[in-house]
Amino acid sequence: MNDEKLILRIREVCNSPQPAHKREFFQYLQEHKMINQRLPVMSHGEFLTGQLLYIGKWIWIFSGLLLLFITWICYRHPGNYPFALTPFLALGILLETRRSFRWRMAELEHAARFSLRSVMLARLFLAGTVNTAGLLIIILIIRPYFSYSLIRVFLYMMVPYLTASWSGSVYERMHRSDHGLGSILICVLSSALFAAAPAFFSQLYEERMTVIWAAAFILTACSLAGNLREWARHMEEPVWN
Amino acid sequence: MELTADRITKQYKNKIAVDRMSFTLARGVTGLLGANGAGKTTLMRILCGILVPDSGTVTCDGMDVETEEYREILGYLPQEFGYYPEFSGRDFLLYMSAVKGLRKKEALKKTEELIELVRLKDAARKKVRTYSGGMKQRLGIAQALLNDPQILIMDEPTAGLDPQERIRFRNLIAAIGKDRIVLLSTHIVSDLEHIADRLMIMKEGGLLWQGEWNAAAGDLEEFYISKIGENK
Repeated sequence: MNDEKLILRIREVCNSPQPAHKREFFQYLQEHKMINQRLPVMSHGEFLTGQLLYIGKWIWIFSGLLLLFITWICYRHPGNYPFALTPFLALGILLETRRSFRWRMAELEHAARFSLRSVMLARLFLAGTVNTAGLLIIILIIRPYFSYSLIRVFLYMMVPYLTASWSGSVYERMHRSDHGLGSILICVLSSALFAAAPAFFSQLYEERMTVIWAAAFILTACSLAGNLREWARHMEEPVWN
Repeated sequence: MELTADRITKQYKNKIAVDRMSFTLARGVTGLLGANGAGKTTLMRILCGILVPDSGTVTCDGMDVETEEYREILGYLPQEFGYYPEFSGRDFLLYMSAVKGLRKKEALKKTEELIELVRLKDAARKKVRTYSGGMKQRLGIAQALLNDPQILIMDEPTAGLDPQERIRFRNLIAAIGKDRIVLLSTHIVSDLEHIADRLMIMKEGGLLWQGEWNAAAGDLEEFYISKIGENK
């Protein structure tokens, strides 16, 4: 008798009995309000908006000042250097991911209904959304100071920001230190890299390179999303092991 | 309601922290005794869904411990916990209410109730960093009770409490444990003597002894030492 036949034969012989009084059982639960009995709790949307209050205020101040500084630089000295400042915008978000661990709140948050994963993802989402929205507004404001098209200004601003966000998030996922020195270093290096790049590669900001910038944008955005997904999946294990 | 652990094992590199432990916790207070390094904290983290065991399962009435539904009925006090530096005691409880999913109205009500319960009313608006060790511990106990948990897991909850506070805490736990599952770990035997309905003794990651405990049965400290000694 091959495996398939054996399985079918076993199924015939060991047929599980039909549940007895199933209808009465569910009726009883219904009558006694025992089905889906849960206390009224916050929705995920309410939780997300509530977390806005708990993001460190220094992040908003730092991001606001940085965006104003970028605008001012573009107004006073329009060139390619202001683009190299956007990696610093990622710094606040990267350091925010360490907040629960730094202040030893992670274990308490992990055992709560919304869990550490939700807390971190909510903060990343909120800080990332506000920063990106700020950057997009700045792009619209500074665009007249450049001879580039809007899409090119967008790419020149976003690629350094996403590069720092992606490499910083990989670092934070793999090595979590107390002072976030690694993240600071990554932002400084990303900034230096994009500031120094035109000296070594003079065609970098030419129109024909736009395709390369677009490819870099897609690549860094996808890598960042993939890394965040991986981070959320394995959040609890490296922390206490 | 029952919390069931089935052959759970957790290993850290070359050390087995929890070794094939199986037990069922029912309503009432269960005391978890063991020396430092016996694996109590690892076991509690597994029961809270914070650590994933290498093998075995933990379920509560068929519900997995990693689900949101389980965490909704869980109250946990870790051995050590911190707080965000800008928080007052009241802010801390309101923040934990938000993470536990309590609506604002309910959160405010529960926060005020628990501040009264743990006698922190005068210090509620002061920064947590100005609190003494005992006050922080009471704040930790309050946050564990915020969501009116059906399962309460507390790791060394009496650490840092003065004798009077410890007695008050023991009475509170005895009252809570009447209709909830309470697991309390400690290496201070007298904390459990009069409130534990059941005991589990751990040694080197294994469950050395588990069973009902009756305060009239004798001296718990002697019993504990004899059990630890038997195994040597």
